[in-house]
Amino acid sequence: MTWLQHGLGKGSGDTAQSWSEALLGSLNFWGLLEGTHLLALMLFAGTIFVVDLRLLGVTFRKTPVSVVSDRVLPMTVAGFLILLATGLALFFAKPMFYYHNLWFRAKMIFLVLAMINIAVFHSQVQRGQSAWDNHPTPPGPARISAIVSLVSWILVIGLGRFIPYDWFQCGKPVPHWANVLQDCKTSEKGAYEKTAETAIKGAQS
Amino acid sequence: MTKINFELFFPALRPWVMNLVNVWPAYIIKPQYANWEVLHILSLTLLGGTAILMNLRLLGRGITEESPSEVYRNLRRWQDVGVIGIVVSGILIGMANAEKLYDSTAFVVKMCALLGGVILTYGASRPVARADGAVPVSARLWFILGGLIWLAGLVIFATGTLVNVGLYHVIFAAALIVLIAAQGRLRWIFLIGLLVIFAVHQWVTHVTYADPFDLKHLDPANKVFTWIYVVWIAAAAAAQTFMASRNKATPALAKLIAWSTILVWVTGAAAGRWIAFE
Repeated sequence: MTWLQHGLGKGSGDTAQSWSEALLGSLNFWGLLEGTHLLALMLFAGTIFVVDLRLLGVTFRKTPVSVVSDRVLPMTVAGFLILLATGLALFFAKPMFYYHNLWFRAKMIFLVLAMINIAVFHSQVQRGQSAWDNHPTPPGPARISAIVSLVSWILVIGLGRFIPYDWFQCGKPVPHWANVLQDCKTSEKGAYEKTAETAIKGAQS
Repeated sequence: MTKINFELFFPALRPWVMNLVNVWPAYIIKPQYANWEVLHILSLTLLGGTAILMNLRLLGRGITEESPSEVYRNLRRWQDVGVIGIVVSGILIGMANAEKLYDSTAFVVKMCALLGGVILTYGASRPVARADGAVPVSARLWFILGGLIWLAGLVIFATGTLVNVGLYHVIFAAALIVLIAAQGRLRWIFLIGLLVIFAVHQWVTHVTYADPFDLKHLDPANKVFTWIYVVWIAAAAAAQTFMASRNKATPALAKLIAWSTILVWVTGAAAGRWIAFE
């Protein structure tokens, strides 16, 4: 991670920047990447929510599930590819920060959960789809899959928005569990236990 | 150039704006700011997804097995939830952060896009979708009014120092809609042209003028290329709109309304994000 942030692409000379540092320090490019990451959610999440709502039987009840998913999911995939490309670039701009960030780690867990849910849906739930494709309300397993999808993506978005907030940032006095979960000991700013600060304040008073 | 913000239009309001954070419910919202931001973004995604699907249907894409009126009927309540969500959460986080917004150019753009977006969505796009592509007189009038307010927002966006780069989101979104909406040869010609413009743009700004601080050359070069992107995308959109409409039931005006209604919300979202970069 340190090499990714400070080493990769670095030229010679005192003021030389790595590619990661150059990206982070760019006048507008980082902002455009971050903005695109957010705006692509309108395409990605906005469309996958509609597919999930159809699976729950609360919209497009008269339209076969296969029609909604065939027509809408290509747009969802396009949105996801934009999110993935911009997300990887944003991670590359501050790899150490994201790697040791509690919210980023939690976001990745729910991202993986959402992916597993998609795999289970395609391999298991969709097997018998021809039997319920026209049903206004699909069967239980499809509805459960839709709920898992909705909850996972809402959490991925919410946790993603929490990333810049420094409530549990490494190097600040944070609870022991936060230091452990973020692996703060190996971060650039180190680990600082909240109990240590309390002890010092107590000794001072 | 004069900075366009709400202080310019309402210079005496600063004390009132500064006090907004102490007014109910802003002082309750302030410590939970991040949670309300999440609600704002989730509402935006719901609004965005429903606007994209409803208006792409008018462009002849998306759920084409159903009529535009059927797509409208299935999505309208979810879109209402999205609009109410962005307005309510927006007012709450706006009150808790009022002074920054009062000084912001991007916020003026965002308010133009919100007003234009509501007018275009409820006055033009939805009535047209409900009528399966027919454009009633009232929808024409609302389209002119909403479109003018949106255009005013775009002009302010383009002239705003430090925020005008955010316009690239709107340009990128328009290019994406062309790629989805255009068919056959038009789609490929458009894509190849776009990639060529992008390659030449990068060559000029990174090889011809390689010094990143050479703003005397880079600034006009970027402006020229921005216009080239806009003209290329608008030409492809016009081709998709007018050529395809000749033989089909959906009139060109309904498609123009659909284009504007998607892009007005993209403008609002882009301006909202660029408030932070001002």
